[in-house]
Amino acid sequence: MKKTPERIEALAAEYVLGSLRGAARRRFEQWMMESTRVRREVWFWEEKLGDLARDVPENQPPASVWNNIERRLWGAQEQPGKPARGIGRWFWPSWSMLATAAVLVLAVVLIQQPKPTGEQLSGAIVQANLEDPLWLVSESGTENLLKLRSVAASAAEAGKDYELWVVPENGQPLSLGVIPAGGVHRVRLSDEAREALSRSRTLAISLEPTGGSPTGAPTGPILHVTKLYSL
Amino acid sequence: MTQTDADQDQLMRLLMKISQQDRRAFQELYEHIAARMFGLCLRLAGQRELAEEALQDAFIQIWHRAGEYHSDRGAPLGWMMTIARYRTLDLIRARKVRQTVNDEDLNELDDGRDGPLELSLRESGAQKLTGCLDELSDVQRDSILLSYYRGFTHEELAQALSSPIGTVKSWIRRGLMALKRCLEQ
Repeated sequence: MKKTPERIEALAAEYVLGSLRGAARRRFEQWMMESTRVRREVWFWEEKLGDLARDVPENQPPASVWNNIERRLWGAQEQPGKPARGIGRWFWPSWSMLATAAVLVLAVVLIQQPKPTGEQLSGAIVQANLEDPLWLVSESGTENLLKLRSVAASAAEAGKDYELWVVPENGQPLSLGVIPAGGVHRVRLSDEAREALSRSRTLAISLEPTGGSPTGAPTGPILHVTKLYSL
Repeated sequence: MTQTDADQDQLMRLLMKISQQDRRAFQELYEHIAARMFGLCLRLAGQRELAEEALQDAFIQIWHRAGEYHSDRGAPLGWMMTIARYRTLDLIRARKVRQTVNDEDLNELDDGRDGPLELSLRESGAQKLTGCLDELSDVQRDSILLSYYRGFTHEELAQALSSPIGTVKSWIRRGLMALKRCLEQ
């Protein structure tokens, strides 16, 4: 279906309202991923219809909700107030400026506590409301190879490529090169990238000009961030 | 409830801190907005268990996504409420909760005065959106508000408003477009 202004206008409104369902909703999310214009239209409605939420009466949730949130984020054993591990300070403030694709709900595959080394990492790059993952990621530990199998990923818009990054705990992201939207793609990890990945277990995908970022750092919107888990 | 700029500034500061993994700021945010958010989830889900789960999921998303917020997304509270609303809708769909609307459901929704939508919400909804909802026909407005507040599907709306699905779809579509024209003026 072509993205005519009229269709974008009508579908964005129904998307935000919630009356757009099923396959049509998923197709529209794909449009959001591909087009700034579509995202802006969605944001317009989110802001306008959001007004309606203001007058819904408050209702105090039970204490168990907060306890569950804490447990799911940090586990039961950690003391509150301890600095959280995970993505470092530099990451969000700087990357967030670029994250114009923020409308995508990223389902982050959370790891539990880090396990002893020697494990193999795997995970999925997913998009909310899409049943299949975009890519499945797995590591073959012996050869420092990272394998990406495309499941539901679709090609980047014309003139763009997807670029894969290791997000280290500290410092700048390390490029793993451009990845195709179809088939199986293998990347050989440098020792530095392997080391960084085994610590942070975090990968990101950004949208870059064809051939990849000209600067060596992400320049386009960050489309996905995912944490891998160990098998 | 009024949302002052000071409120929004405070929420913005909390989001900044949360994006830097500040747990205390996260707890403060929860204490500040959880009741508002839970009210919305509960209204939409119509049942506590699902609303509680949606609220948990929404806050977990906020923890991970705080750094994605930017001013193009509207006010911070609205952005977070949107996260909660989408999550609630997702869960309703995943569970196929309320697949059919029976008479009992409708009675629960009915305040006895004005169909399946409470008068209070209809009135406050109309005042919001800079009065633009007033420009819609009654059925257009009710279809939109029931979708927004109750997460009704086209089928559920057709049943609640005793009209064919095709008619309901066109009320929503035309109503939304009329709303947009008015909001853009």
